[in-house]
Amino acid sequence: MNLLRLLPAAFLAAFLALPAAAWAQGGPKSVVSTERVRAELMAHAPEGVAPGKSVWVGLQVAHQPEWHTYWKNSGDSGLPTQLQWTLPQGVTAGEIAWPVPKKIPIGNLANYGYEGTVLLPVPLTISPDFKPSFLGGDIDVKLRASWLVCKKECIPEEGEFAIKLPAKSTTALNAAAFQAAFDAQPQALKGEGKAVIDGNAIKLTVSGLPAALRGKTLEFFPETGEVIETAAQWTQAWQGDDWTARVPLSPQRAHSPGVMPIVLALGDQGWRTEAKVQGEWPAVAAVTGMSAALEAALRANQAGGGSPSAALAPTTATLTLAAALLGALLGGLILNLMPCVFPILAIKVVGFTRHADDRRSHRIAGLAYSAGVIASFAALGALMLTLRAAGEQLGWGFQLQSPAVVAVLAALFTLIGLNLAGLFQFGSFLPSSVAALEARHPVANAFLSGVLAVAVASPCTAPFMGASLGFAIGLPAAEALLVFAAIGVGMALPYLAASWVPAVARLLPRPGAWMETFRKLMAFPMFATVAWLVWVLGQQSGIDGAGALLVLLVAMSMVIWALTLQGRARAVIAAISIVSFGLLAWAAGASITKPQAQQQAVRGEGGWVPWSPGRVDQLVASGQPVFVDFTAAWCVTCQYNKKTTLANADVLADLSAKKVALLRADWTRRDPAITAALAQLGRNGVPVYVFYKQGSAPVVLSEILGVEEVRSVIAKL
Amino acid sequence: MMLRRTFFALSALALAWSAQAAPSVGQAAPDFALKDADGKAVKLSDFRGKHVVLEWTNPGCPYVRKHYDSGNMPATQKEAVGKGVVWLAINSTERASYEYMEPAKVVAWQQARKAQPTALLADEDGVAGKAYGARTTPHMYIVDPQGKLVYAGGIDSIPSSNPEDIKRAVNYVRQGLDEALAGKPISQAVTRPYGCSVKYKG
Repeated sequence: MNLLRLLPAAFLAAFLALPAAAWAQGGPKSVVSTERVRAELMAHAPEGVAPGKSVWVGLQVAHQPEWHTYWKNSGDSGLPTQLQWTLPQGVTAGEIAWPVPKKIPIGNLANYGYEGTVLLPVPLTISPDFKPSFLGGDIDVKLRASWLVCKKECIPEEGEFAIKLPAKSTTALNAAAFQAAFDAQPQALKGEGKAVIDGNAIKLTVSGLPAALRGKTLEFFPETGEVIETAAQWTQAWQGDDWTARVPLSPQRAHSPGVMPIVLALGDQGWRTEAKVQGEWPAVAAVTGMSAALEAALRANQAGGGSPSAALAPTTATLTLAAALLGALLGGLILNLMPCVFPILAIKVVGFTRHADDRRSHRIAGLAYSAGVIASFAALGALMLTLRAAGEQLGWGFQLQSPAVVAVLAALFTLIGLNLAGLFQFGSFLPSSVAALEARHPVANAFLSGVLAVAVASPCTAPFMGASLGFAIGLPAAEALLVFAAIGVGMALPYLAASWVPAVARLLPRPGAWMETFRKLMAFPMFATVAWLVWVLGQQSGIDGAGALLVLLVAMSMVIWALTLQGRARAVIAAISIVSFGLLAWAAGASITKPQAQQQAVRGEGGWVPWSPGRVDQLVASGQPVFVDFTAAWCVTCQYNKKTTLANADVLADLSAKKVALLRADWTRRDPAITAALAQLGRNGVPVYVFYKQGSAPVVLSEILGVEEVRSVIAKL
Repeated sequence: MMLRRTFFALSALALAWSAQAAPSVGQAAPDFALKDADGKAVKLSDFRGKHVVLEWTNPGCPYVRKHYDSGNMPATQKEAVGKGVVWLAINSTERASYEYMEPAKVVAWQQARKAQPTALLADEDGVAGKAYGARTTPHMYIVDPQGKLVYAGGIDSIPSSNPEDIKRAVNYVRQGLDEALAGKPISQAVTRPYGCSVKYKG
């Protein structure tokens, strides 16, 4: 009850107090006090404020004992006090006229600054533009100051200050403080100063100092920071009227000035000269510039020393464009033999036997196929380079990192498989004009089968190709595209040779009834490829995604079959199958591209742990050798190695005997960190197999892992 | 065990002897053996073949806090480590200093700011700090894969305690790493380190 009655009174009191509080806090004042300093904005205008008159303002800082703030060159650490002025139009502030500082040692470091009380004066220039108002006309001087105050620890502080300078009278209250600050200004010397560079030191000679100083030990302050070793021992001597000194230079010198303004001091009095620098500054930054990738490759070559790994180690360092082109060509050739290209070989074999009786169309098909392969490689290369230029972290095989692309490829292979198996002929449901086009244009057909071959073959980086591609990424675009095109030439070469050299063509069996059987047989590698692509998608999007893809493939097959029917059955069944395909696509389609929730879940097989950035360094630092398998589900070469060499009992025994940490970097989905790690090894695709060991550079193995190769490297760990 | 300790003593001694001459950029970066927060020995030479960033740090320093509280240092670290660079944060604050924090606490302090250097190394005796001539916190160095010092100086170009300045400043470490990783020489290889002085022992 009492409380309730009190409330209105409290409100009233608060209401009344509000303006008073606002008044009390209203705007900056001339003094800011902290636990460490008392700072006051002062003015000095003994002749009034008018154009041509001497007008000074300044910040006086009174430090608590042991605390200090800094001079214009703060020395090894610290920061100079900074003043930002807000002045009326026609009034401008000059630079701080820094009084002579003190050298303040802190352990093995040294600073230049002020203790006790110091005034930092700043001259104001009043131009004829300045018009004080008729009504009394004060000049509002506003200052925002920031200073670093240190004992051993440092506190950055700042304050806002404001004073009013009467325009029509004089201000001389702080005359004594300003006079002391003026007295502490270093005087310009008439004599000259010289600074001669002498190895890692600078020899100073200053003439024209007052005779009274002769023989006295002076303090020395360079106005330029980051040149001398502030805390180092230095020596001085008088040579007649000249004061000389030898001051060591900082090994981490940031400046190499042509003139060094320096201040010499005795007590509070100082003298300033601008010493001309003679001689050459010692170099501070020897040019260094070999990339990590280059170095890793060089070392890998050295480390290999004649073993099988040396023969296949990346030779990025010495790789010239010609070598890269040759490597790309060889890689393309070998691509024909890689496990993932087998279905494509099947297509080609069928194509071959089909045209076996016609030499001319044979040749044309061979050329068209080659053109398709080369153009696709160049196009994929161009796409990747463009995306990389736009800042994407991509590497070779990136096309299969997208679940959508994998799903489309699976659909494509299903179609080809069904066609080979004889479920339908393209002509039976395509609009007749398109069908005719296909039949009349075997050239376009061959070209497209070349495109198809590349789409599926591209994730398989064959031996020799890895280093070439890694190298190509760093080349100018035109040359890089040439490397990509060379892969295409290599891949197309065997087919081209067979189509042009009659001797090769004659080796092929004569056409006959067996062709129909062979065609159907080749449907199975196609379906096997579909099974593989579904598995890849399962790695990317999980069991739901893979399931959805399978359901859609079944529905698609039904649509295809329905379209081959005739009459009313065709209309009804096709309508039903298309609708159900649409519904299924709508219901399940999204889960195909949805990323799997626990993508990075530990695949704990055989002691492998997931790779993460920095993990290798931590393990290597702890003295453990590390083996990293850069892999991807869509990379068949990777899967082949994983099931053969990496599952070999002897290899596994060797790995565990040497306590090698096994890391697996899974690139199935896009991962910029893995792309960057590959780039450091001079690579741009998977598979890559690397051994890391404390104190030596990484050893990169060949893409098709041999048991002996791995064991010989492990033996050297 | 014994051997290991002897090794430590020897390398410490070797560093102490060479302590007077800090390396110039272009010279060999002095090797060191320091313990990480778990007490494990970490040597600079373990990381041959990689770029290494050395960051002198001290959570008690307002300039270090400027770059950690704003997220600038953690972001620079993460970016560097993501590119395969090794990042060693070194605390050379002496035990007697009231700003001294135990290594595990520094790690916790860093983690609270999402900072994850490759390792935090304790250098309470200042051996490594003096070998490099580290003067301030932060004071940054980059060592190239051959073990050569390629950068010495500040974290960025605006020496102030105001976090607002970070946006406008050139991050010398990021710039230097980008250049070094691209195989180019570092354009600003020596800059002014700014911040609190390192609280060395003795």
